[in-house]
Amino acid sequence: MEVASKRRRELEAAVLDKVGEVISAVRSAQRVDQVICALHSLAVLLFPLDYSSLLSGSIDQRYRDQVLSAKVPSEEERWEWWQAFYHGAAYPTLARVLLLDVASNWLACFPLSARVHVYDVFFVRGLSSEVVQTLVPCLQQNASDGHDINYVLSNTERLLVHCLLENDGVLQMAREFCRSEDSISEWTKPTVARLAQMVASIPDKARLRAPVSLSSHLFFKQITIQLLSLAEKRDEKVLDKVSFFSKSDVDDALQFVGETFSRICRRGSADVLLSEISPRILRHVQSLLSSDIDSAVIDVFEAHPGSQFWLKMIEAIKDVYAVERISEQLLHHLVTEHASDVEAYWILWLLFHRTIRHQTSVRSMFVDKFVLWKTFPICCLRWILQFAVLECPPDSNSLTKGHSISGLVDTLQRLLAVWSKKEFVQSASMEQQTYVSAAVGLSLEKMSKEELDETKDVMHLILQGVSCRLESPNHLVRKMASGVALVFSKVIDPKNPLYLDDSCSSDIIDWEFGLATPDKGNLDTSDCTEKDVLKSKASILAPESDFNHTANRGMSNNVKSKTKKLSEFKIADPDEIIDPVTLNNEPVSDIDDDDDNASENSESSSDSSLQPYDLSDDDTDLKRKFSQLVDVVGALRKSDDADGVERALDVAENLVRASPDELRHVASDLVRTLVQVRCSDLAVEGEEESAEDKRQRALVALLVTCPFESLDTLNKLLYSPNVDISQRIMILDVMTDAAQELANAKTVKPKHRTGSLITSISESQPWFLPSGSGPPGATSWKEISDTGTLLNWSSRYERELPSKSGQIKRGKTRRWSLRSSSVQENQMEWSHNKFPVHAAAFMLPAMQGFDKKRHGVDLLDRDFVVLGKLIYMLGVCMKCAAMHPEASALAPPLLDLLRSREVSHHKEAYVRRAVLFAASCILVALHPSYVASSLVEGNLEVSKGLEWVRIWALHVVESDTDRECYTMAMTCLQLHSEMAFQASRALESVETTFKTRSVGLPSNLSQGTIKIPTHKGNIDFV
Amino acid sequence: MATIVKLQHISSFRGKGTRNLIREGMSKRPTPDPVAVLRGHRASVMDASFHPSRPLLFTGSADGELRIWDTVQHRTVSSACVHSAAHGIICVASSPFIGANKVISQGRDGTVKCWDIEDGGLSRNPSVTIKTNTYHFCKLSLVKKPSAHALQAEGHSYHDETEFRGTFDLESLDDSKEKAERGLTECSNVVREDTHAEGPNYVAIAGELSHEVEVWDLNTAERLVQLPQSSVGGSPNISTSERGMCMAVQAFLPTESQGSLNVLAGYEDGSMLWWDIRHPGVPVTSIKFHSEPVLSISIDESCRGGISGAADNKIVMFSLDHSMGSCVVKKEISLERPGISGTSIRPDGKIAATAGWDHRVRIYNYHKGNALAILKYHHATCNSVSYSSDSKLMASASEDRTVALWELYPPKT
Repeated sequence: MEVASKRRRELEAAVLDKVGEVISAVRSAQRVDQVICALHSLAVLLFPLDYSSLLSGSIDQRYRDQVLSAKVPSEEERWEWWQAFYHGAAYPTLARVLLLDVASNWLACFPLSARVHVYDVFFVRGLSSEVVQTLVPCLQQNASDGHDINYVLSNTERLLVHCLLENDGVLQMAREFCRSEDSISEWTKPTVARLAQMVASIPDKARLRAPVSLSSHLFFKQITIQLLSLAEKRDEKVLDKVSFFSKSDVDDALQFVGETFSRICRRGSADVLLSEISPRILRHVQSLLSSDIDSAVIDVFEAHPGSQFWLKMIEAIKDVYAVERISEQLLHHLVTEHASDVEAYWILWLLFHRTIRHQTSVRSMFVDKFVLWKTFPICCLRWILQFAVLECPPDSNSLTKGHSISGLVDTLQRLLAVWSKKEFVQSASMEQQTYVSAAVGLSLEKMSKEELDETKDVMHLILQGVSCRLESPNHLVRKMASGVALVFSKVIDPKNPLYLDDSCSSDIIDWEFGLATPDKGNLDTSDCTEKDVLKSKASILAPESDFNHTANRGMSNNVKSKTKKLSEFKIADPDEIIDPVTLNNEPVSDIDDDDDNASENSESSSDSSLQPYDLSDDDTDLKRKFSQLVDVVGALRKSDDADGVERALDVAENLVRASPDELRHVASDLVRTLVQVRCSDLAVEGEEESAEDKRQRALVALLVTCPFESLDTLNKLLYSPNVDISQRIMILDVMTDAAQELANAKTVKPKHRTGSLITSISESQPWFLPSGSGPPGATSWKEISDTGTLLNWSSRYERELPSKSGQIKRGKTRRWSLRSSSVQENQMEWSHNKFPVHAAAFMLPAMQGFDKKRHGVDLLDRDFVVLGKLIYMLGVCMKCAAMHPEASALAPPLLDLLRSREVSHHKEAYVRRAVLFAASCILVALHPSYVASSLVEGNLEVSKGLEWVRIWALHVVESDTDRECYTMAMTCLQLHSEMAFQASRALESVETTFKTRSVGLPSNLSQGTIKIPTHKGNIDFV
Repeated sequence: MATIVKLQHISSFRGKGTRNLIREGMSKRPTPDPVAVLRGHRASVMDASFHPSRPLLFTGSADGELRIWDTVQHRTVSSACVHSAAHGIICVASSPFIGANKVISQGRDGTVKCWDIEDGGLSRNPSVTIKTNTYHFCKLSLVKKPSAHALQAEGHSYHDETEFRGTFDLESLDDSKEKAERGLTECSNVVREDTHAEGPNYVAIAGELSHEVEVWDLNTAERLVQLPQSSVGGSPNISTSERGMCMAVQAFLPTESQGSLNVLAGYEDGSMLWWDIRHPGVPVTSIKFHSEPVLSISIDESCRGGISGAADNKIVMFSLDHSMGSCVVKKEISLERPGISGTSIRPDGKIAATAGWDHRVRIYNYHKGNALAILKYHHATCNSVSYSSDSKLMASASEDRTVALWELYPPKT
């Protein structure tokens, strides 16, 4: 030992001497050849060099001899020197000179072969770990010692690409750590970590103009591939050397791999990493699953040598954050690669089954973070639940419950604790809510009734969560509640599922709630065809029964032909469109025919001409039609006569639109009864929607035809304690619709027809003939001979006129005064905004007292949906009155309403959205000149309100959790800048007019400010 | 839309032969509209009756107006207020047997008036006025006799008829002789255009006591008999008062009855009594088909069957067996909506029509009783239906103040 160490020390001294020699030679060199020679003298001691190529270079003859005369050491000597050189202090010293001095002063003059053989060789053939340690710091060299810094850096980058990427330097490093047992130096863990850190930092340290392969994407991809090849290479190399891997602790190579991977993740390139990892591991699992499915799968996985790398890789990654990023990316990649449930489970098992047992951080990551706080596609959620919660391999494509349910119960309870909170519904993003709901549903599905009974508050939490979701204005949220409720009811009583929603009638719940299903269209079409098939089946069945019927009546002569016909139907193409009615009818008419024939035989009279007509009959015309509004009101009040209510609703809209004289007196009563009629209770099953629709249209018609009286009542009802939330919402909906209708009111005005007042008479026609003008197709005039006396003063003419195009002839009844299309052509439609007159009546009463809490009225807290609808309605009203002076008058109070803290910072996103909408409407509705004049005149109310809108929208953009709020706020900001721009233009014109009148701007103009965000920044208009 | 589908369907079937196509078309053909609608009445049209030979239609309305219409031109020929507006007409009737140029109107003022049709309208004054003192809703009935072709179809010769006619009347043999002559002319199927009806003409009508039926002689305006006859001697009489008002009557003269008048009367409780005036004390038979008041009875041309409508949701087709004196249900048709205020059987006996309270006129195959058409035109209660004697036209009178003319299943000539 002593001899060895002494010898090593001597060797190191010799190497150091030699290096010192070379360095001084380089420093004192006058010519490039001298540098080459000096370097060569060292290189030749360390590396096997190829002289022929060096000689072909253009070295001066003198130096060539010197080079050639250099003594070539033996293989063994060289190896010793190499060891001493790289493990000692010699290499770093030389490398510094090479990278700085030589690179900046001489390297440009090196012939190519010389550069490869006496310069690059020190790095390329060196100990990669050392090389990296010298190269990487060089990337951050400052221009200090008069070196040509650009050249130094580009040279370093070139060397890095050359060493690490082209020569698999990273792989070599890993191998170096492998051999560390029998090598001289011991690698400590911090060193490994430092090296990994260095490698991973290269792309960040590289300059902008560095080679593309040093960009983080390509670089990490390359080194990942290199490191992963380790996993495969080891198979061959280490098959006999099992002990190497069965070691309990992680060896340095894997340590390095792990560290590198975690650094890559830290530097935000986890996707690059996983895009390489996931196909490989998927391939691995697939090959294992397909090859040997019979024996116990766990054994197969553990025994297979290829698995070892994967088994330990995650263990090697100590960085929790990196593990999380890797698992996330892994899951996403598995989705894109369409891994099956079984494959995904085994992949997760392979990577994480040890760490999840030993490391609480990993466990909580799967059970907590991935289920509660992150969102993945739903299939990932299934994998996560299967792996981390149920902890057993799945059956084909369905979650399987393991033996122990404690994990499941724990998880479910934790999920429910979050899920049932109202705050979660209010603040979490839609994806998050969907995801957690799906998690709740999926894990609930796996529970049994007994297990549920044992848990303490699960049921309570479920009910709480469902009920607070059912109140939500968002359809999706309600759907989540009904989905979970359905699952819950199935667990409690599988035979009696609870459908809270009409739409979800199938047993399979779509846990993605239609959020992300790209191939939904396919489903629909398949569904459709299935229906078609069913329909055609039904239509085939129908004639069959008819057929039986006839057969029973003993018409055996026709049986054969009919069975034939039936079989024809049966084998008919199912895609063919078969009208069931005609199918049914044909045999029926057959029967009649036969019947008639029979009667013909028995009685001599022929009845075959007595074919029945269409015997369908309905009683629509029999019902009493209401023709008076008073009757309608009366019928609506009789809640026990459902039929009457329905008919009253049918006619109500038309009667109101006819706008009879008494409407004004009935309007208030009618509004009240319409609001209070329980039409959905009275309507026939399945027709609630249409009844509701009719009521709303009738109310809209009332509001449009008779606004003031109706509004008076409606506004009273809006805050009355006698109506419920649904009625309040309906009132607001109706007001919104009415406002829009009033704004788009159309009036028909006849077009002024220009006709010549003096008719010119053509020569060809005698003056006494009537003129030939008239509709096209009219025949020419004919004189009618009069049978009267000869002394007839008048002559009569007639001609035939074609019937008008719009005229309908029904039977013998002639209908007059049908409006023909030509009449309509002659009239023009003018759209005329009738709304502004009524705007105040619409808005002001509704804005009063929205914040008062009364019996049954609590807009700010409980009935937030009503509040949202109210604000929306106010916004629509503003929009409808846009650019009218009324809008300017109504904007300040509305802005006041919006600005109140409990409205604009309402915890329900629904309300905030409505506020954003209303604010945008105000921005659109205000006339720019009004904004300008309010600035000029110092109307603080408006200018401050508008400024608040901008600030508040900015605030929402920055901090709101709801994505829709964000987009709406962006739009709002856009509208604000547009408005400000228009206002500034208006202001300019005001200024010019002021100037022309030589009147100075009023001094208080400075009080109002309006900010216009432009590219340069904010311009204040003062 | 439906027609488009059907057309597509038909075109797809074209390859399978035109038979199918025709059948398709036939099976779903839409109900026809009226060929004409006669407007002009200012009140509910209560009854309509065709002139037996000329293209005229008589209609009477609830305000007492009797209109005569030309059924070719669809114009009013004349109009007259024949009963007071307050009471109105409930029935108009005409028959070849009372004379071709006569029309009878029954008002709710307690009179029945017989009018002559002169050139361009009614006579100024009625030729006969019967003061019946009845103020009810029952329409009177003229006597229906088996028509020639109906009889021939059944294989009877008119000789038998004349033989039976020999003992026709209870009162006067002379009358019966004349009657026999008339019957002879009728059998030769020549409609006489004579201006005067000969022989006694009877009308059956619900009586002054509304549960009785009275038969009046039209020529003399005298009451002939009451059914049931108030007790004469010891004959066992029954009372009909517990049956309620008589709501419908139909008088007929079946060949089997040896010339004696028969009356079928429907009562308020839904029962019907078959009277033979030879035995005015007791009815031939009593049946109850309906659960509500019988509103209309029609007897077919052969007098061997008929149809009855009531306020319940049933139409009953029945047959009369003269030898047994029994009336049996042939077919019972149930309706969705109750109320049949009028019935009529076409003279050729193929189809029958009903006028419903549900505004609909329904057409049935009289032989089989199956429904043929539901005619929706009127928008108020239909009061009566009536067929023309040549079976070509049907008139429906309705409370909507219109009369609709229909041409359904016109007989092949």
